[in-house]
Amino acid sequence: MSSKQKLRLVLLLGGFLLALSVEGIGQVYMTKNGHAEFKSSVPLHSFTGHSDKLVGKISLSDSTVDFYVDVHTLKTGIRKRDEDMLETLQADQYPFAEFFGKLASPFDSSSSDAQDVTVRGDFSMHGISRKLSVDGTLQKTDKGLKVDASWTINMENYNIEPPGILFYRVSEKIPISISATLASQPSK
Amino acid sequence: MRLSKAFYIVILLQLIAVTGLQAQMQRQRVAVASTVDDAFWTPTLITQPTTEHIPARNLNVTIMHSFGIATTDAISNFFGFDNVQNVRLGLDMGLTNRWSVGIGRSSQLNVVDIRTKYALFQQDSLKKMPVSISLQGDLGIITQENRQPLSDDVSIASSLIFSRKFSKRFSLQILPTYAHFNRYNAIGSQNLFALGMGMAIHLSKRYALTAEYYPVLGEHLPGTKNAFSLGMNIQTGGHVFQLFFTSTEWHLQQFVIADNDQQFWAGDFRFGFNVNRIFGL
Repeated sequence: MSSKQKLRLVLLLGGFLLALSVEGIGQVYMTKNGHAEFKSSVPLHSFTGHSDKLVGKISLSDSTVDFYVDVHTLKTGIRKRDEDMLETLQADQYPFAEFFGKLASPFDSSSSDAQDVTVRGDFSMHGISRKLSVDGTLQKTDKGLKVDASWTINMENYNIEPPGILFYRVSEKIPISISATLASQPSK
Repeated sequence: MRLSKAFYIVILLQLIAVTGLQAQMQRQRVAVASTVDDAFWTPTLITQPTTEHIPARNLNVTIMHSFGIATTDAISNFFGFDNVQNVRLGLDMGLTNRWSVGIGRSSQLNVVDIRTKYALFQQDSLKKMPVSISLQGDLGIITQENRQPLSDDVSIASSLIFSRKFSKRFSLQILPTYAHFNRYNAIGSQNLFALGMGMAIHLSKRYALTAEYYPVLGEHLPGTKNAFSLGMNIQTGGHVFQLFFTSTEWHLQQFVIADNDQQFWAGDFRFGFNVNRIFGL
Protein backbone atom coordinates (compact mmCIF):
# COMPACT_ATOMS: atom_id res chain seq x y z
CA MET A 1 0.00 0.00 0.00
CA SER A 2 1.48 3.32 -1.07
CA SER A 3 1.75 6.18 1.37
CA LYS A 4 -0.92 8.04 -0.63
CA GLN A 5 -3.30 5.12 -0.17
CA LYS A 6 -2.44 4.96 3.54
CA LEU A 7 -3.16 8.69 3.89
CA ARG A 8 -6.51 8.20 2.22
CA LEU A 9 -7.30 5.31 4.56
CA VAL A 10 -6.39 7.33 7.68
CA LEU A 11 -8.48 10.30 6.51
CA LEU A 12 -11.38 8.00 5.65
CA LEU A 13 -11.28 6.24 9.03
CA GLY A 14 -10.82 9.54 10.86
CA GLY A 15 -13.68 11.11 8.98
CA PHE A 16 -15.89 8.14 9.80
CA LEU A 17 -15.04 8.34 13.52
CA LEU A 18 -15.56 12.10 13.55
CA ALA A 19 -18.90 11.65 11.83
CA LEU A 20 -19.87 9.24 14.61
CA SER A 21 -18.89 11.83 17.22
CA VAL A 22 -20.80 14.59 15.48
CA GLU A 23 -23.75 12.23 15.19
CA GLY A 24 -23.38 11.84 18.97
CA ILE A 25 -23.93 15.57 19.45
CA GLY A 26 -27.38 15.09 17.95
CA GLN A 27 -28.14 12.72 20.86
CA VAL A 28 -27.73 15.41 23.49
CA TYR A 29 -30.75 16.49 25.55
CA MET A 30 -30.92 19.51 27.82
CA THR A 31 -33.23 21.42 30.13
CA LYS A 32 -32.96 24.46 32.37
CA ASN A 33 -36.34 24.18 34.07
CA GLY A 34 -36.57 20.69 35.46
CA HIS A 35 -38.25 20.03 38.79
CA ALA A 36 -36.31 19.00 41.89
CA GLU A 37 -37.93 18.26 45.23
CA PHE A 38 -36.91 17.17 48.69
CA LYS A 39 -38.86 16.18 51.75
CA SER A 40 -37.85 16.97 55.29
CA SER A 41 -39.51 15.87 58.47
CA VAL A 42 -39.57 16.65 62.15
CA PRO A 43 -41.77 14.72 64.60
CA LEU A 44 -45.47 15.18 63.71
CA HIS A 45 -44.66 17.48 60.81
CA SER A 46 -43.07 17.34 57.39
CA PHE A 47 -42.55 19.80 54.57
CA THR A 48 -41.29 19.76 51.02
CA GLY A 49 -38.94 22.09 49.22
CA HIS A 50 -38.85 22.37 45.47
CA SER A 51 -37.22 24.19 42.59
CA ASP A 52 -38.17 24.49 38.94
CA LYS A 53 -34.68 25.58 37.97
CA LEU A 54 -33.07 22.15 37.69
CA VAL A 55 -30.50 22.18 34.88
CA GLY A 56 -29.81 18.87 33.18
CA LYS A 57 -27.97 17.39 30.25
CA ILE A 58 -28.01 13.80 29.03
CA SER A 59 -25.79 12.66 26.21
CA LEU A 60 -26.89 9.27 24.92
CA SER A 61 -23.86 8.86 22.69
CA ASP A 62 -21.45 8.66 25.62
CA SER A 63 -24.08 7.94 28.32
CA THR A 64 -23.16 10.96 30.44
CA VAL A 65 -25.77 12.39 32.80
CA ASP A 66 -25.22 15.84 34.30
CA PHE A 67 -27.70 17.65 36.59
CA TYR A 68 -27.38 20.58 38.95
CA VAL A 69 -29.61 23.00 40.83
CA ASP A 70 -28.80 26.31 42.48
CA VAL A 71 -29.93 25.67 46.07
CA HIS A 72 -31.00 29.32 46.36
CA THR A 73 -33.92 28.43 44.08
CA LEU A 74 -35.30 25.81 46.50
CA LYS A 75 -38.45 27.05 48.22
CA THR A 76 -40.24 25.45 51.18
CA GLY A 77 -43.19 27.86 51.29
CA ILE A 78 -41.92 29.69 54.39
CA ARG A 79 -39.33 32.37 53.75
CA LYS A 80 -37.66 32.19 57.14
CA ARG A 81 -37.31 28.43 56.81
CA ASP A 82 -35.70 28.94 53.38
CA GLU A 83 -33.17 31.28 54.96
CA ASP A 84 -32.40 28.75 57.68
CA MET A 85 -31.97 26.05 55.05
CA LEU A 86 -29.54 28.16 53.00
CA GLU A 87 -27.57 28.95 56.10
CA THR A 88 -27.42 25.27 57.03
CA LEU A 89 -26.22 24.40 53.52
CA GLN A 90 -23.71 27.30 53.55
CA ALA A 91 -25.23 28.20 50.21
CA ASP A 92 -23.06 31.24 49.58
CA GLN A 93 -20.00 28.99 49.67
CA TYR A 94 -21.60 25.91 48.06
CA PRO A 95 -24.41 27.15 45.81
CA PHE A 96 -25.02 23.93 43.85
CA ALA A 97 -26.35 20.45 44.47
CA GLU A 98 -25.10 18.43 41.51
CA PHE A 99 -24.83 15.01 39.98
CA PHE A 100 -22.47 13.89 37.25
CA GLY A 101 -22.34 10.29 36.13
CA LYS A 102 -23.09 7.75 33.45
CA LEU A 103 -25.92 5.49 32.47
CA ALA A 104 -25.02 2.10 33.89
CA SER A 105 -27.81 0.17 32.21
CA PRO A 106 -28.86 -0.09 28.58
CA PHE A 107 -31.35 2.38 27.13
CA ASP A 108 -33.08 1.76 23.82
CA SER A 109 -33.39 5.21 22.25
CA SER A 110 -35.55 3.84 19.43
CA SER A 111 -38.34 2.88 21.85
CA SER A 112 -40.94 5.33 23.20
CA ASP A 113 -41.66 3.18 26.26
CA ALA A 114 -40.61 4.31 29.74
CA GLN A 115 -37.51 2.30 30.59
CA ASP A 116 -35.99 1.63 33.99
CA VAL A 117 -32.40 2.78 34.10
CA THR A 118 -29.61 3.00 36.62
CA VAL A 119 -27.20 5.90 36.69
CA ARG A 120 -23.93 5.86 38.63
CA GLY A 121 -21.81 8.84 39.42
CA ASP A 122 -21.00 11.50 42.00
CA PHE A 123 -23.55 13.54 43.90
CA SER A 124 -22.10 16.69 45.43
CA MET A 125 -23.46 19.24 47.84
CA HIS A 126 -22.16 21.30 50.73
CA GLY A 127 -18.66 20.81 49.34
CA ILE A 128 -18.79 17.02 49.75
CA SER A 129 -18.88 14.59 46.85
CA ARG A 130 -19.99 10.97 47.22
CA LYS A 131 -20.54 8.04 44.87
CA LEU A 132 -24.20 7.43 44.19
CA SER A 133 -26.29 4.95 42.23
CA VAL A 134 -29.73 6.19 41.26
CA ASP A 135 -32.64 4.23 39.81
CA GLY A 136 -35.09 6.04 37.60
CA THR A 137 -36.95 5.98 34.32
CA LEU A 138 -36.13 7.44 30.93
CA GLN A 139 -38.67 7.83 28.17
CA LYS A 140 -38.40 9.28 24.71
CA THR A 141 -41.38 11.52 23.99
CA ASP A 142 -42.37 14.01 21.30
CA LYS A 143 -40.96 16.77 23.49
CA GLY A 144 -37.65 15.08 24.20
CA LEU A 145 -36.32 12.81 26.87
CA LYS A 146 -38.42 12.48 30.03
CA VAL A 147 -36.54 11.73 33.23
CA ASP A 148 -37.86 10.70 36.64
CA ALA A 149 -35.60 9.62 39.46
CA SER A 150 -35.51 9.55 43.21
CA TRP A 151 -33.04 8.68 45.93
CA THR A 152 -32.38 9.37 49.57
CA ILE A 153 -29.39 11.10 51.07
CA ASN A 154 -28.19 11.14 54.62
CA MET A 155 -27.29 14.67 55.68
CA GLU A 156 -24.49 13.37 57.87
CA ASN A 157 -22.71 12.01 54.76
CA TYR A 158 -22.54 15.52 53.38
CA ASN A 159 -21.39 17.06 56.62
CA ILE A 160 -24.71 18.89 57.05
CA GLU A 161 -25.82 19.24 60.61
CA PRO A 162 -29.61 18.81 60.79
CA PRO A 163 -31.05 22.02 62.18
CA GLY A 164 -32.78 21.79 65.55
CA ILE A 165 -36.10 23.55 66.12
CA LEU A 166 -36.43 24.02 69.88
CA PHE A 167 -36.80 20.45 71.12
CA TYR A 168 -37.14 18.84 67.69
CA ARG A 169 -34.43 17.77 65.32
CA VAL A 170 -34.91 17.48 61.57
CA SER A 171 -34.57 13.90 60.29
CA GLU A 172 -31.16 13.17 58.78
CA LYS A 173 -32.63 11.21 55.86
CA ILE A 174 -33.83 13.42 53.04
CA PRO A 175 -35.71 11.85 50.09
CA ILE A 176 -34.95 13.68 46.84
CA SER A 177 -36.75 13.38 43.52
CA ILE A 178 -36.32 14.98 40.14
CA SER A 179 -38.50 15.09 37.05
CA ALA A 180 -37.74 16.85 33.82
CA THR A 181 -38.23 16.70 30.08
CA LEU A 182 -34.98 17.41 28.29
CA ALA A 183 -35.26 18.82 24.80
CA SER A 184 -33.16 17.42 22.01
CA GLN A 185 -30.33 19.74 21.06
CA PRO A 186 -29.89 20.52 17.37
CA SER A 187 -26.83 19.01 15.67
CA LYS A 188 -23.94 21.38 15.26
CA MET B 1 5.72 12.66 7.28
CA ARG B 2 2.45 13.77 5.69
CA LEU B 3 0.86 10.53 6.81
CA SER B 4 1.81 10.92 10.48
CA LYS B 5 0.73 14.59 10.46
CA ALA B 6 -2.70 13.65 9.10
CA PHE B 7 -2.93 10.88 11.67
CA TYR B 8 -2.22 13.28 14.56
CA ILE B 9 -4.69 15.85 13.23
CA VAL B 10 -7.42 13.20 13.05
CA ILE B 11 -6.63 11.98 16.59
CA LEU B 12 -6.64 15.58 17.89
CA LEU B 13 -9.99 16.34 16.29
CA GLN B 14 -11.33 13.10 17.69
CA LEU B 15 -10.14 14.00 21.20
CA ILE B 16 -11.68 17.47 20.97
CA ALA B 17 -15.00 16.02 19.85
CA VAL B 18 -15.11 13.34 22.56
CA THR B 19 -13.91 15.73 25.30
CA GLY B 20 -16.53 18.24 24.28
CA LEU B 21 -19.24 15.64 24.63
CA GLN B 22 -18.16 14.33 28.02
CA ALA B 23 -17.43 17.64 29.72
CA GLN B 24 -19.56 18.75 32.65
CA MET B 25 -21.76 21.75 32.02
CA GLN B 26 -20.49 24.99 33.40
CA ARG B 27 -22.40 25.74 36.62
CA GLN B 28 -24.31 29.01 36.51
CA ARG B 29 -25.98 30.75 39.44
CA VAL B 30 -29.63 31.78 39.09
CA ALA B 31 -30.30 35.46 39.74
CA VAL B 32 -32.29 35.70 42.98
CA ALA B 33 -34.08 38.64 44.59
CA SER B 34 -31.82 41.03 46.45
CA THR B 35 -34.56 42.67 48.54
CA VAL B 36 -34.10 42.90 52.30
CA ASP B 37 -37.08 41.14 53.82
CA ASP B 38 -35.92 40.26 57.31
CA ALA B 39 -35.57 43.69 58.94
CA PHE B 40 -38.26 42.42 61.32
CA TRP B 41 -39.37 38.82 61.59
CA THR B 42 -43.09 39.34 61.87
CA PRO B 43 -45.77 41.55 60.30
CA THR B 44 -46.31 43.04 63.79
CA LEU B 45 -43.37 44.25 65.89
CA ILE B 46 -45.18 44.17 69.26
CA THR B 47 -48.25 46.27 68.54
CA GLN B 48 -46.93 48.21 65.53
CA PRO B 49 -47.21 46.96 61.95
CA THR B 50 -43.84 46.43 60.25
CA THR B 51 -42.65 46.30 56.65
CA GLU B 52 -42.36 42.51 56.97
CA HIS B 53 -44.75 40.93 54.47
CA ILE B 54 -46.39 37.55 54.37
CA PRO B 55 -45.39 35.83 51.14
CA ALA B 56 -48.11 34.97 48.61
CA ARG B 57 -50.27 31.98 49.59
CA ASN B 58 -48.94 32.00 53.14
CA LEU B 59 -51.21 32.28 56.16
CA ASN B 60 -49.99 33.85 59.39
CA VAL B 61 -51.96 32.87 62.48
CA THR B 62 -51.46 35.12 65.48
CA ILE B 63 -52.42 34.86 69.12
CA MET B 64 -51.76 38.08 71.01
CA HIS B 65 -52.09 38.13 74.73
CA SER B 66 -51.68 40.76 77.43
CA PHE B 67 -52.11 40.41 81.18
CA GLY B 68 -52.76 42.78 84.06
CA ILE B 69 -50.26 45.31 85.39
CA ALA B 70 -47.36 43.30 86.77
CA THR B 71 -46.48 45.69 89.57
CA THR B 72 -49.94 46.19 91.09
CA ASP B 73 -50.49 43.76 93.95
CA ALA B 74 -47.71 41.76 92.35
CA ILE B 75 -47.86 38.76 94.65
CA SER B 76 -51.62 38.43 95.04
CA ASN B 77 -52.14 38.89 91.27
CA PHE B 78 -49.09 36.78 90.47
CA PHE B 79 -47.44 39.64 88.56
CA GLY B 80 -50.60 40.29 86.56
CA PHE B 81 -50.94 36.74 85.23
CA ASP B 82 -54.20 36.30 87.15
CA ASN B 83 -55.82 39.01 85.03
CA VAL B 84 -56.08 38.24 81.34
CA GLN B 85 -56.55 41.75 80.00
CA ASN B 86 -56.90 41.28 76.26
CA VAL B 87 -56.56 38.49 73.71
CA ARG B 88 -56.50 39.12 69.97
CA LEU B 89 -56.80 36.18 67.61
CA GLY B 90 -55.86 36.99 64.03
CA LEU B 91 -55.39 35.61 60.55
CA ASP B 92 -53.36 37.37 57.86
CA MET B 93 -52.85 36.08 54.37
CA GLY B 94 -50.41 37.07 51.63
CA LEU B 95 -52.34 37.67 48.41
CA THR B 96 -49.12 38.57 46.63
CA ASN B 97 -45.58 38.93 47.95
CA ARG B 98 -46.38 42.62 48.49
CA TRP B 99 -50.01 42.67 49.53
CA SER B 100 -51.68 41.04 52.51
CA VAL B 101 -55.11 41.16 54.15
CA GLY B 102 -56.13 40.11 57.64
CA ILE B 103 -58.89 39.81 60.18
CA GLY B 104 -58.81 39.65 63.96
CA ARG B 105 -60.87 39.86 67.10
CA SER B 106 -59.89 41.31 70.43
CA SER B 107 -61.59 40.24 73.63
CA GLN B 108 -61.42 43.83 74.95
CA LEU B 109 -64.72 45.48 73.85
CA ASN B 110 -65.05 42.56 71.40
CA VAL B 111 -63.37 44.63 68.69
CA VAL B 112 -63.35 42.96 65.30
CA ASP B 113 -60.81 44.37 62.88
CA ILE B 114 -59.93 43.95 59.25
CA ARG B 115 -56.63 45.17 57.89
CA THR B 116 -54.49 45.35 54.81
CA LYS B 117 -50.88 46.18 54.03
CA TYR B 118 -49.09 46.90 50.79
CA ALA B 119 -45.35 47.17 50.15
CA LEU B 120 -44.73 50.29 48.07
CA PHE B 121 -40.95 49.87 48.06
CA GLN B 122 -38.60 47.25 49.43
CA GLN B 123 -35.06 47.85 50.60
CA ASP B 124 -32.81 46.49 47.88
CA SER B 125 -29.04 46.50 47.85
CA LEU B 126 -28.77 46.02 44.08
CA LYS B 127 -31.42 48.57 43.11
CA LYS B 128 -29.97 51.10 45.54
CA MET B 129 -33.28 51.36 47.43
CA PRO B 130 -32.21 52.28 50.98
CA VAL B 131 -35.53 51.80 52.79
CA SER B 132 -38.70 49.75 52.72
CA ILE B 133 -41.98 51.67 52.63
CA SER B 134 -45.35 50.06 53.28
CA LEU B 135 -48.85 51.44 53.59
CA GLN B 136 -51.06 49.87 56.22
CA GLY B 137 -54.66 50.42 57.17
CA ASP B 138 -57.11 48.81 59.55
CA LEU B 139 -60.73 49.22 60.46
CA GLY B 140 -62.04 48.21 63.87
CA ILE B 141 -65.62 47.76 65.00
CA ILE B 142 -66.64 47.42 68.64
CA THR B 143 -69.13 44.57 68.70
CA GLN B 144 -69.80 44.57 72.45
CA GLU B 145 -73.36 45.69 73.19
CA ASN B 146 -73.24 49.37 74.19
CA ARG B 147 -76.57 50.83 73.03
CA GLN B 148 -74.98 53.11 70.47
CA PRO B 149 -75.33 53.04 66.69
CA LEU B 150 -72.88 50.86 64.77
CA SER B 151 -71.34 53.90 63.12
CA ASP B 152 -70.18 55.11 66.56
CA ASP B 153 -68.32 51.86 67.07
CA VAL B 154 -66.10 52.30 64.04
CA SER B 155 -62.46 53.36 64.18
CA ILE B 156 -59.63 53.33 61.67
CA ALA B 157 -55.87 53.64 61.66
CA SER B 158 -53.50 54.16 58.79
CA SER B 159 -49.70 54.18 58.78
CA LEU B 160 -46.99 54.84 56.29
CA ILE B 161 -44.15 52.65 57.52
CA PHE B 162 -40.53 53.47 56.71
CA SER B 163 -37.96 50.89 57.77
CA ARG B 164 -34.31 50.19 57.19
CA LYS B 165 -32.12 47.29 58.12
CA PHE B 166 -28.91 49.13 58.85
CA SER B 167 -26.80 46.08 59.48
CA LYS B 168 -27.10 42.37 60.11
CA ARG B 169 -27.91 43.27 63.73
CA PHE B 170 -29.98 46.45 63.69
CA SER B 171 -33.29 47.52 62.10
CA LEU B 172 -35.30 50.66 62.68
CA GLN B 173 -38.73 51.85 61.61
CA ILE B 174 -40.70 55.07 61.79
CA LEU B 175 -44.40 55.12 61.09
CA PRO B 176 -46.44 58.29 60.95
CA THR B 177 -49.91 57.12 61.94
CA TYR B 178 -53.35 58.61 61.73
CA ALA B 179 -56.16 57.26 63.89
CA HIS B 180 -59.82 58.19 63.80
CA PHE B 181 -62.71 57.25 66.09
CA ASN B 182 -66.25 58.04 65.04
CA ARG B 183 -67.00 58.26 68.73
CA TYR B 184 -64.47 57.75 71.49
CA ASN B 185 -66.15 57.02 74.84
CA ALA B 186 -68.27 60.04 75.72
CA ILE B 187 -66.15 62.68 74.01
CA GLY B 188 -67.28 62.24 70.44
CA SER B 189 -65.35 61.98 67.21
CA GLN B 190 -61.59 62.04 67.57
CA ASN B 191 -58.62 62.35 65.22
CA LEU B 192 -55.16 61.50 66.46
CA PHE B 193 -51.70 61.60 64.97
CA ALA B 194 -48.71 59.69 66.27
CA LEU B 195 -45.16 59.07 65.15
CA GLY B 196 -44.50 55.42 65.90
CA MET B 197 -40.91 54.26 66.29
CA GLY B 198 -39.73 50.69 66.47
CA MET B 199 -36.46 48.81 66.42
CA ALA B 200 -35.01 45.33 66.51
CA ILE B 201 -31.58 44.18 67.57
CA HIS B 202 -30.88 40.74 66.12
CA LEU B 203 -28.83 38.92 68.73
CA SER B 204 -28.66 35.72 66.63
CA LYS B 205 -30.73 33.99 63.99
CA ARG B 206 -33.05 32.83 66.80
CA TYR B 207 -33.27 35.80 69.15
CA ALA B 208 -33.94 39.51 68.75
CA LEU B 209 -34.63 42.34 71.17
CA THR B 210 -37.40 44.69 70.14
CA ALA B 211 -38.79 48.00 71.36
CA GLU B 212 -41.49 50.36 70.18
CA TYR B 213 -42.76 53.77 71.16
CA TYR B 214 -45.93 55.56 70.07
CA PRO B 215 -45.64 59.28 70.86
CA VAL B 216 -48.87 61.12 70.14
CA LEU B 217 -48.32 64.35 68.20
CA GLY B 218 -50.37 67.22 69.58
CA GLU B 219 -52.88 66.82 72.36
CA HIS B 220 -53.41 63.50 74.10
CA LEU B 221 -56.85 62.23 74.95
CA PRO B 222 -57.62 62.89 78.64
CA GLY B 223 -55.69 60.62 81.00
CA THR B 224 -53.68 58.87 78.29
CA LYS B 225 -49.93 58.56 77.80
CA ASN B 226 -47.54 57.49 75.08
CA ALA B 227 -47.36 53.70 74.81
CA PHE B 228 -44.05 51.93 75.16
CA SER B 229 -43.18 48.26 74.81
CA LEU B 230 -40.02 46.19 75.17
CA GLY B 231 -39.79 42.62 73.90
CA MET B 232 -37.85 39.61 72.77
CA ASN B 233 -38.48 37.57 69.62
CA ILE B 234 -37.73 33.87 69.48
CA GLN B 235 -37.60 32.45 65.97
CA THR B 236 -38.02 28.71 65.50
CA GLY B 237 -38.43 28.38 61.72
CA GLY B 238 -42.21 28.04 61.54
CA HIS B 239 -43.09 29.98 64.70
CA VAL B 240 -42.05 33.33 66.03
CA PHE B 241 -42.73 33.78 69.74
CA GLN B 242 -42.75 37.35 71.00
CA LEU B 243 -42.48 37.94 74.73
CA PHE B 244 -42.84 41.52 75.90
CA PHE B 245 -43.50 44.05 78.61
CA THR B 246 -45.84 46.84 77.59
CA SER B 247 -47.82 49.70 78.98
CA THR B 248 -50.84 49.06 76.75
CA GLU B 249 -53.42 46.32 76.91
CA TRP B 250 -54.30 46.78 73.23
CA HIS B 251 -53.05 44.98 70.15
CA LEU B 252 -54.73 47.30 67.67
CA GLN B 253 -52.98 50.52 66.62
CA GLN B 254 -55.71 53.12 67.07
CA PHE B 255 -56.48 51.88 70.57
CA VAL B 256 -52.78 51.74 71.49
CA ILE B 257 -52.51 55.42 70.57
CA ALA B 258 -55.83 56.52 72.05
CA ASP B 259 -56.31 54.35 75.08
CA ASN B 260 -53.01 53.80 76.87
CA ASP B 261 -53.30 55.12 80.41
CA GLN B 262 -50.17 53.54 81.88
CA GLN B 263 -46.65 54.94 82.17
CA PHE B 264 -44.10 52.22 81.33
CA TRP B 265 -41.09 53.88 82.95
CA ALA B 266 -43.04 54.55 86.13
CA GLY B 267 -43.23 50.79 86.51
CA ASP B 268 -46.77 50.38 85.21
CA PHE B 269 -46.20 47.67 82.69
CA ARG B 270 -47.74 44.31 81.98
CA PHE B 271 -46.46 41.08 80.49
CA GLY B 272 -47.72 39.89 77.14
CA PHE B 273 -46.88 37.51 74.35
CA ASN B 274 -47.63 37.02 70.68
CA VAL B 275 -47.43 33.70 68.90
CA ASN B 276 -47.02 33.81 65.12
CA ARG B 277 -47.36 30.61 63.13
CA ILE B 278 -47.01 30.72 59.38
CA PHE B 279 -48.51 28.11 57.09
CA GLY B 280 -47.79 27.62 53.40
CA LEU B 281 -51.14 27.10 51.60
